[in-house]
Amino acid sequence: MSGEKKTFSVSKYSKLIILAVFILALSILRPKAFLTVGNISNVLWSVSVIGIMVSGTIYVFLLGGIDLSIETLCGLTAVVIVEVVTHMGNSVGGVIVGILAALGVGALAGLLHGFVITKFKVPAFLVTFATQSVFLGLSMIITNNKIVSCTKPKLFTMIGSTWVSIILMVIIAAFSWFLLSRTVFGRRTYAVGGNATAAEISGINVAKNTILCYVISGLTTAIGGIVLASMTQQAMASTGSGYTNDVITAGVIGGVSLLGGQGTVQGAIFGAVLMGLLNNGLNLMSVPSTQAGLVKGIVIIVAVAFDAMQHADQSRKKVRKVVKKA
Amino acid sequence: MKKRILTLALTAVMAIGLLSGCTLQKTVRVDKHSPAGEGTAVGGVSNKVKVDPYTEDVKIAYIAHDLSTPNNQAWLEGIERETSSWSNITVQSFNAESSAETQVQLMADAINQKFNAIIVQCSDGTALAPSVEQAEEAGIPVITLNLDADTVHSALVMAPDYDAGRMAADKMAEQIGENGNIAIIQGVPGLHRTDNLEKGFRDTIANYPNIKIVDAQSASFEKEKAMTVMNSFLQSHPDLKGVFAINDAMAEGAALAAESAGKGGGQICIWGADGEKDALEMIENGQLSGTIYTNSWDQGSTAAKIALLMMSSEYSYNVLTETPEVIMEPVVATKDTVGTIDEKDRW
Repeated sequence: MSGEKKTFSVSKYSKLIILAVFILALSILRPKAFLTVGNISNVLWSVSVIGIMVSGTIYVFLLGGIDLSIETLCGLTAVVIVEVVTHMGNSVGGVIVGILAALGVGALAGLLHGFVITKFKVPAFLVTFATQSVFLGLSMIITNNKIVSCTKPKLFTMIGSTWVSIILMVIIAAFSWFLLSRTVFGRRTYAVGGNATAAEISGINVAKNTILCYVISGLTTAIGGIVLASMTQQAMASTGSGYTNDVITAGVIGGVSLLGGQGTVQGAIFGAVLMGLLNNGLNLMSVPSTQAGLVKGIVIIVAVAFDAMQHADQSRKKVRKVVKKA
Repeated sequence: MKKRILTLALTAVMAIGLLSGCTLQKTVRVDKHSPAGEGTAVGGVSNKVKVDPYTEDVKIAYIAHDLSTPNNQAWLEGIERETSSWSNITVQSFNAESSAETQVQLMADAINQKFNAIIVQCSDGTALAPSVEQAEEAGIPVITLNLDADTVHSALVMAPDYDAGRMAADKMAEQIGENGNIAIIQGVPGLHRTDNLEKGFRDTIANYPNIKIVDAQSASFEKEKAMTVMNSFLQSHPDLKGVFAINDAMAEGAALAAESAGKGGGQICIWGADGEKDALEMIENGQLSGTIYTNSWDQGSTAAKIALLMMSSEYSYNVLTETPEVIMEPVVATKDTVGTIDEKDRW
């Protein structure tokens, strides 16, 4: 067994290998433009909102649940912070109150989701599908369906600036990783997602765990909304549209199973970064938008197939090992 | 069958008319798709019933492409302003949330509910053509805004597109000293208006031999996506002197990206098109170089006026050979001229 430990396992690092191949390819194709601090920070900045949100929604995915309300909750929280800041005279205090209010809305939304799902046994798909519409409606009413601009104060516009949003993403992802892989709560989440009945029988409070997961998801979505509002210095009902799809895609590309029980934060972040690199590469190569979709789709299939193949190999090896032992 | 015979008969009559020399002079625009052919009236069926919109109860449907955009919202406000003095006129707005399919359904609903007029911005001119035709056949005048339907209907009220691109190009060329590399941030490809804007811009830039369009990427009309696109422009073309964005939201995003890369404050000449309030403010602050402004409130109320006129007239679309157009006045807004746009005209 000791010999096996020494051999380099491709499967364990397959995601990093894919990223390396990507970075290498783009560095060769666009030597001057790609491998600069400016460009790499652009890539990370462009995926920071997705990265922040997926770090929290991954808990919902791990439960085998889904959150379709990500984009409209993101929009609602963006609207909340911008409205609070502008109503409080664009003051620094307004920003702090606004952030708290937005986080409150996010947490409350998560609490509502978790409560309805566990208490009334309504499928997550239905609950979040309905709330998606509720959040959109609320944003429309609050903003009167108009764009609310907010270009001051500096504290507000700073949140979405390149480095702050990247650092936020790293901190949140790291925290989420810690929570998921190093705490009892994390292990319980995997257990509930793997088999809720078994988890219940073994003494895990499934309902409490589920509600907590949805609250975390709501919180990170709210942070995403805050960053997005600051980035664009405005908010409207349609802020965040398309993000549900992006977040789920990032997760799935990163190996998170929508059936629950499988996936890691670092995987999901990998998914987000890969998408960012892909978009960046297409832009740098000046691929016309008419062809970009085709190229993007093919590259994603190749990358994900490579990743999946490595994991299949690994599990086959495991089976073989077990068989040998027997 | 009856309808087809009638159409054929009318076409024949018109053809004879053509041969005998009573041709209408017709100016052909680059983007025009007239299904009826040269100088031939549609001659379709119309069940139009004349109403008096100032005494009888009438209702106008406004079917927006995406009601959350400032432009679509300004149109609605324009329509409402125009009709607010008459309590017998109701305006109902519908939101297609950027989907042509939804718009087709909303059109069918509006026809079934017997609205007296429909004002619509067609997300897709081809997809909406049968719905527009159905409405006109049912006697409901259809007025399109900016994005045309590929069928003859009561009126099109549009902001200039090709010309707006041309004006932006000329002014930008002047601002960058008729020399240097520039790039375009595109909207969703395939829409008449945006394609024409880009075409107008490209055709005009071609007159300046020292200006080169080095890149063009889509940001789907979104501010945030435009920031990413602009960032990659800045990486791949460090010598970039100008950027033309097909709409203001994207121009604003490009300006923010340029600022955070330390190239703000007009170092790169960034142009948009539409003239929304925020963009005008950014021009005043020197963050944006210019935009082509049109008064969208006025555009909405113009559409409403035409709707009222058409309801009360005995004319119907079937006497038309092509869709009549009202083109809104374009204003080239730069730091020098933006002050001439009155605060109350900023939507």
